[in-house]
Amino acid sequence: MIEAEVKKKLGSFSLHANVSDEHFICLTGKNGSGKTTLLNLIGGILTPDEGHITLNSKKITNLPIERRQVSIITQDSCIPHLDVDRHLVWGAKNKGLNIEQEYIAEIKTSLGVQFDGKVRKLSLGMRERVALATSLISEPELILVDEALSNIDNHRDFIDAFKNLAAKAKIDVIFTTQYPDDSSQADHHYQLESGKSTRLF
Amino acid sequence: MNWLKLISALSLAILVIPVFLLLYEGFGPLRDPIGYSYDVFRSVELTLLSSAIAATVSVALFTPLSYYFARNKNSIAETLSDIPASIPHPIIGVAILVIASPLTPFGKFLLSVGINFFDSFLGLIIALTIVSAPIYIKSMQPFFQSMNIAHENYALGLGASKFRTFVSVVLPNSGKGILSASLISMSRAMSEFGSISIVAYYVLQQPFYGVNPAPVLVFQYYTYYGLGAAVTSSAVMILVSIAMMVLLRLVRR
Repeated sequence: MIEAEVKKKLGSFSLHANVSDEHFICLTGKNGSGKTTLLNLIGGILTPDEGHITLNSKKITNLPIERRQVSIITQDSCIPHLDVDRHLVWGAKNKGLNIEQEYIAEIKTSLGVQFDGKVRKLSLGMRERVALATSLISEPELILVDEALSNIDNHRDFIDAFKNLAAKAKIDVIFTTQYPDDSSQADHHYQLESGKSTRLF
Repeated sequence: MNWLKLISALSLAILVIPVFLLLYEGFGPLRDPIGYSYDVFRSVELTLLSSAIAATVSVALFTPLSYYFARNKNSIAETLSDIPASIPHPIIGVAILVIASPLTPFGKFLLSVGINFFDSFLGLIIALTIVSAPIYIKSMQPFFQSMNIAHENYALGLGASKFRTFVSVVLPNSGKGILSASLISMSRAMSEFGSISIVAYYVLQQPFYGVNPAPVLVFQYYTYYGLGAAVTSSAVMILVSIAMMVLLRLVRR
């Protein structure tokens, strides 16, 4: 369950957004509507001017990124010099988690991570698959996906698979997308317009 | 008429003509065999080795600071780190001697365990590190700034501490930047005269017993033997520096 009520002014742009939901949440809005700013606030890359952020009843408003249990994924997210297999368990290792090989294999199959090699040499879509799989395996409480589903082939099928895995691991997800139709796959849908959020369902 | 090109060519000429003139005179009309004697090569060797060690020390000590500056705004600390590069270098030499003298508790301690900076290889390296480290920091900072911060934020979101992110995500992807910045800082160390003419006019330790650092040697030849020896030994130094710059170009490609 993520509850955020935040205000942030960046130059002439000001964001005032409310999110209070759980499970698989879709966030849509035009370029410059504040989607990335909102995710950066929840993820800890930015701090809000006013407001609070609570994750599963724990106040995380002023925690540094690494202590929030929130994984943020953009199109550039990866650790470029690692091999795919080492990349997948990198986050879990940081947290000292013991992840079973079968679980990793299941995620690799479901998310179509059927390739190897250095992550920096992969195509954008393949890199995004690896980044999302790595986040799932690291078992955060919330995953924020900023436009990182759009470059994946058959992305509707991928979203379904990702949603099932996140639900099974009890991880909430907020994702932004440039395709408004993707919201039909979400449990909840928020729209941002010039920095103001509206809950559609 | 392309004025920009013409002005650029003229200003470039101001920089390179003295250098080429020295090469021409040094190996031509003013050639003096003292200028490429065994002593000159020994001192080039000392300068190359000590500058390379100073650059390595800069990499080890100042890479984290450069990264910190790239990711956190701190203009006071940045200005402080610039001081050694912006004050007259003989002052650095004097400062090192004072720190290592019996006037300070630290100096007393050093002397009691038999460590001496004056006319020693260690003193030479310390002076070269202090004057060239600001150049290293100034070259590494924009390199880190140009790195995609999304990688670091992703690593932090995966639970890595800031230090672990630096060591396991930033550093493995910084090899080229570090090599290039350390070569720039090494070239800077090779050209140092002011501070080392005070701290280590010559080194009184084997295997460099009695050897002067190359810039000091040029100065000494000028005062002892006159222009010919100074110009010829300078020309030899210029060749070494050009080789360094070619190496730097190759690395940066």
